[in-house]
Amino acid sequence: MRITEWLAPANTCRQFDSNELLFEALKRLDNKAILCIQTKAMPSARKLVGQYGLAPDSAEEVLNQSTLIFLRKIKDGSYQFHGHAPSTYLVEIMRRVALMMTRTNRKTHETLEDHHDLQDPDVEAAQRQRESADLVRQFLAQMGEPCETVVRLHHIDGYSDEEVVRQGWTRYSTTDSLKIKRSDCMKKLIQIAQKWRSSNNI
Amino acid sequence: MEEFKQYLNDNADEAERRAAEQVMEGLQGLRLESKVAEVAAERAALYRRLHWRRIFTSMVALALLAGAAYLFFVKNDTPAPQQQPVEQPAKPPFPVVNQDVPSENTTEKTASDPIAQLPPDERLPNPRYPAPDASMMRGDAAAGKNQQALLDQLWYTDYPLKGLKPGNSFKTVDKNLKKRNFNAAYLELEQLEGFLTKNDTLRYLKAYCLLETGEGNEALAYLDSIQGRHSAWEPQLQWYRGLAMLLADERGKALALFKQIAKSPGHPYRRHAAKAEKLLAM
Repeated sequence: MRITEWLAPANTCRQFDSNELLFEALKRLDNKAILCIQTKAMPSARKLVGQYGLAPDSAEEVLNQSTLIFLRKIKDGSYQFHGHAPSTYLVEIMRRVALMMTRTNRKTHETLEDHHDLQDPDVEAAQRQRESADLVRQFLAQMGEPCETVVRLHHIDGYSDEEVVRQGWTRYSTTDSLKIKRSDCMKKLIQIAQKWRSSNNI
Repeated sequence: MEEFKQYLNDNADEAERRAAEQVMEGLQGLRLESKVAEVAAERAALYRRLHWRRIFTSMVALALLAGAAYLFFVKNDTPAPQQQPVEQPAKPPFPVVNQDVPSENTTEKTASDPIAQLPPDERLPNPRYPAPDASMMRGDAAAGKNQQALLDQLWYTDYPLKGLKPGNSFKTVDKNLKKRNFNAAYLELEQLEGFLTKNDTLRYLKAYCLLETGEGNEALAYLDSIQGRHSAWEPQLQWYRGLAMLLADERGKALALFKQIAKSPGHPYRRHAAKAEKLLAM
């Protein structure tokens, strides 16, 4: 390895020869693919933060929020691959997020959801998803063990049933018993959510 | 949408379906947040590693640079040729022309700037003490300065005087002379002169005091009066006579004397006289 390579940031995109490969890996929420687009987009994040007058340490937040939006769009199919570099689209999202953050900073006494003038569907969807995520986190805590772990390992951490059984992270020794338990837990979770919705008149 | 159908009852109503949608959206949000947090931690570790690599490389580069600089300077630090240690005057009251370090304009010597210098092969250690300030005795400031510079290069004087053993009467004088307190020594000698008439030791010591205080003519008179009477004193006395002549601005006489000393084999002041001869000839 040459000293210049050793001192330069690691090429995190080495294994993604084409944009299509990168996109497919992003669909699978592959960590290296996410790292690749984030590394490519980070200089732009720093630049945008400067342009929009945000604090220099906001670059990380802009990048992470934008990545969340981008990954959600890939997962729900609203972003389709047309041969362009995914990082280009991420930079575009970052621009909108940075703008939104600038507006939020100007109206610090108001909450983000009060900003009807923002009207950015992606940002609004991300905000909705964040609220749902917070609620689900509460519901999971409310259910307690073993449901919390069983649901978390599959739906949040993304482990396969085989892996969970092999590692012995739960008391269930077969994938079938694990699936039955998870199904049961999910039904309980939906019931809790339903009760919460009705008590909040939603 | 397909994924959560399996968790819904067969007869699920709209409210249950919406609750399931919200749960699935929340779970997906948590999954994405977890992924982004994981990658952020990886990225931070990557930058941290890079940061430490850069610090490490900088330190290695600095160490190499320091090593190279050390080698360079050690290599160029050639040992100086062994020289006889030279005692410098404690505090020269006027600019001293150092014969070891040629002044910048030695090649541009003119009649108006006759400060003599010796070639390196004729070098003697510099005199321990500067000559007395004799520049005020001359009207011409520039000439006085040159004279002073010449004397400073030749002022090889020393106490105790060679061959002289002062008795108990000269105890205080001896003490003062060792401290280079010439005025006090001279006053003491003046008092002693009242009852020690025609005493050569007294005369020689007086001559030495007068020489060191810049009184060339008077010193010369005393030195002449005892010349040739004490063989043990003679070599140094001859040299001091030369210095007294220079102080008295009698260069011709001084040069003749120095030539004579320089030609005397085994004379302890032969090299000094040769130096004086060359400096006066320049």
